[in-house]
Amino acid sequence: MSFSRRNFLIATGVAAASGSVLTACSSGDTTNNTGGGKQDAAKANATEIKIGTAEDSKGPAPEVSGAKKGGTVYLLNDDDFSHLDPQRIYYAWNSLAAVVLSRTLTGYKIADDGSMTLVGDLATDTGTMEDGGKKWSFTLKDGVKWEDGSDVTVDDVRHGFERAYSDFITEGASYAQIWLSGTSEYRKSYSGPYKGKHLKSIEVSGKTITFHLSEARPDFNYVLAMHSYAPTPVKKDAKQDYDKKPVSNGPYKIKSHTTDKSMVLVRNENWDPATDPIRNAYPDQFDFAFGIEQLTAIDRLLADAGKDQYAVSWRTIPQERLQKARAEAKDRIFEELGSGVSCYWINTTRVEDKAVREALIKAWPTAGIRQLLGGEVRGDYATGIMSPLVAGYESQDVWGKLKNPAGDPKAAKEVLKKAGKSGYKVVYAYQQDPQQTKIKVVIENALKAAGFEVVTKAIDSTTWYDQIGKLDNGFDVYWGGWSADWPTGYSVFQPLFESTQVVEQGSNYSHLKDPAVDAAIKAATAEADQDKANKMWAALDKQVTETGAFIPDVYMRRIYMHGSKLGNVKMDPNFDGCMLYKLYVKS
Amino acid sequence: MLRFLVRRFLGAVVTLFIISAVTFMLFYAVPRDPARIACGKVCTPETLELIRHNMGIADPMPTQLWNWLTGIFLGRDYPGFGNCDAPCLGYSFVNREPVLGTILDRFPTTFSLFLGSSVVFLIFGIGTGMVAALKQGKATDKLASSASLIASSMQIYFVGTLALYVLVYQWQILDQPGYTPFTDNPAQWFSGLLLPWLILALIFTANYTRMTRSQMVEQLNEDYVRTARAKGLSRQNVFFRFAWRGAMGPIVTIFGIDMGVLLGGGMITEKTFSIQGIGLLAVKSAGNNDLPMLLGVMVITASFVVICNILVDACYALIDPRIRLA
Repeated sequence: MSFSRRNFLIATGVAAASGSVLTACSSGDTTNNTGGGKQDAAKANATEIKIGTAEDSKGPAPEVSGAKKGGTVYLLNDDDFSHLDPQRIYYAWNSLAAVVLSRTLTGYKIADDGSMTLVGDLATDTGTMEDGGKKWSFTLKDGVKWEDGSDVTVDDVRHGFERAYSDFITEGASYAQIWLSGTSEYRKSYSGPYKGKHLKSIEVSGKTITFHLSEARPDFNYVLAMHSYAPTPVKKDAKQDYDKKPVSNGPYKIKSHTTDKSMVLVRNENWDPATDPIRNAYPDQFDFAFGIEQLTAIDRLLADAGKDQYAVSWRTIPQERLQKARAEAKDRIFEELGSGVSCYWINTTRVEDKAVREALIKAWPTAGIRQLLGGEVRGDYATGIMSPLVAGYESQDVWGKLKNPAGDPKAAKEVLKKAGKSGYKVVYAYQQDPQQTKIKVVIENALKAAGFEVVTKAIDSTTWYDQIGKLDNGFDVYWGGWSADWPTGYSVFQPLFESTQVVEQGSNYSHLKDPAVDAAIKAATAEADQDKANKMWAALDKQVTETGAFIPDVYMRRIYMHGSKLGNVKMDPNFDGCMLYKLYVKS
Repeated sequence: MLRFLVRRFLGAVVTLFIISAVTFMLFYAVPRDPARIACGKVCTPETLELIRHNMGIADPMPTQLWNWLTGIFLGRDYPGFGNCDAPCLGYSFVNREPVLGTILDRFPTTFSLFLGSSVVFLIFGIGTGMVAALKQGKATDKLASSASLIASSMQIYFVGTLALYVLVYQWQILDQPGYTPFTDNPAQWFSGLLLPWLILALIFTANYTRMTRSQMVEQLNEDYVRTARAKGLSRQNVFFRFAWRGAMGPIVTIFGIDMGVLLGGGMITEKTFSIQGIGLLAVKSAGNNDLPMLLGVMVITASFVVICNILVDACYALIDPRIRLA
């Protein structure tokens, strides 16, 4: 879709540790679907994420075949990173850089085949859980250092959590703060570390840090892979200014950074690969250029001249260059399923009758919409809200969308008629841009054919989320999207469907208030056995889909390009961009 | 002259104040909430309120306007972001930088773009226009007039993209456009800006050619020019000393306006060539809902236009002795 990057990120919440389970690389010769046909289940080969052992958490990372150290890699980006202070990082875009600057207690070790293992990154393992998930302990590895050569300590780790309570830190994740304080208004109980007070719910002793949570969080070790919970050195914390030049404990450090223009990363000589099971760090330097238009970046990569041979773009290839890129530079394209799921929310406080919601879903022209947005490259048809890259994903098709992605106006008309709702008036809100206006016409025609009366409302795209986030937004159907913050179901279902989230500017965009769904979320959250919990989340995916609170659209895809002199350029399934720490410079 | 400049300066201050106030109110009247953008995915009302406080947008609009105006002279403190020293034109919550600092950082790029393209379009535009006027009705005139008509109908985003594709990506005879500070590397400064200069100048050259030609033709038919000829002055003397000087008034006026606009950022040129100047900053700020930055760019751009107009008025007296600054 043509949403701006910033808006898209907000919508999908492509977040810091939106870790994915696994990876479904598709070949570069995928052709566009004609848009009207059937499609088998999502192509992604979902696999369960593996929780690694202490042995898996030891460095160095396995060598990439044929890779060698040295050289400079050039990154062509349109926008700068909005934050580099780890506590202010939430969106995946920032994490793409933070992953080589700010190590976390746990992290994801990604194998050559794309499979992932949760391992201890700064910690010796993935933590020790007690009391059903209310108490978690982690021990720091020996030899993990900041860029100035000082040790990363448990005080630094605790400081990262504590400064997330400060008034000036509002952009990062808030999950751990809520669990550590037992309230969503966590700032009222603790105002941050700058007055010399520490959180009572975190204990430190020697090299061990222990978290006491107010509720059982069996997947807490996944949550700690988010950069929001990376350590910050107590002695170097510059508060607001820390965002401009954070201190690194990863393989690279910031040499220079001019906001929105350029950034140079060079090797951090105090990073010890023997402590790091995740990162290879082959290039000597990364040069980021910001402000490069998406089309310009792709044209430069297609020309593949000079320094651009060592360059990579961090934006998906625009539709207008896709065919050319596939024809001329097939071997320089990398494409994978992203972590985002696109859908259309149905406002359940307005569309109360489930039969009407069912008719909307049956009539919805998903194939036509996807075709307008680039066809198959846009994504695989979705059948629920849980991405195939979330642990436990199970293929289901409650509404038969895979059999009939183009929509079935006849069946929809029948459902409406049966419910006595023929001619039901639907208010469809859309973002006012050329592409969405075309899509509006397709949707309007499909709904009219199904017997709906359609009212369309154009919304300025810059105010889109403000408008649909209102409790009394006045719309029946509107676009949205989401991706998990970590690869278990909690960060999908709790924000999107728990009734507590039906608040002004809340994340429950469908306004669903279903006691059965609330109970299922609570039960899956408390389940200590991760395999069982994953199955419960998969069942919940089917359950919420059956409520008709949303119309599944697509599991989104990403397609990128790089210069000819880079090797092992692969997509980071966590952050929907290329893995800086795995690629290398050829010759 | 001094009285004129003081009076115009005071007028400019009032004009800029009105522009700032109106722009401020227009921007803040639209239903956009920059706090929502910074609030993340799971945004509680409490967090949203805290961010609004941090951004200084929780107060009523008149208070915000007052704070913004006083910030220009006294500086401001933004609780969530830090201090913004005077003259503070606001704080960009997207860039995490004071607005003025970012604009000043981009200014050398935009100034270089303006400088190079101005040199090209003034030399070629005025030169071609004069030749066309001198050869009025002849093949040279017709060729120059037709070429300028074609060039003035071109659009930068089309010609620029085409030139990029052919000259940079395909033939690779020109460098990738970009800005290198002149003090760092003059050769790279020149080669990186050459294509944007030429493309921007192409459009402006055509306008100046047409205007110079028409002004010169008009002046050459004036009585005082005829008198000068009748007195036996040489053709060159008549052309350059009398007609050219008379034709310069409107050209300087237009150049003053163009100068103000170009110093405020050649948006399309900068976007086409991905050059990080004030124009691209404005475009990106609009896309990112960065209202403080947009407001800052607006005020700075308006300042350039107002200042350039004062300079143009002052220049009139130097060019044309008939005009007295009262």
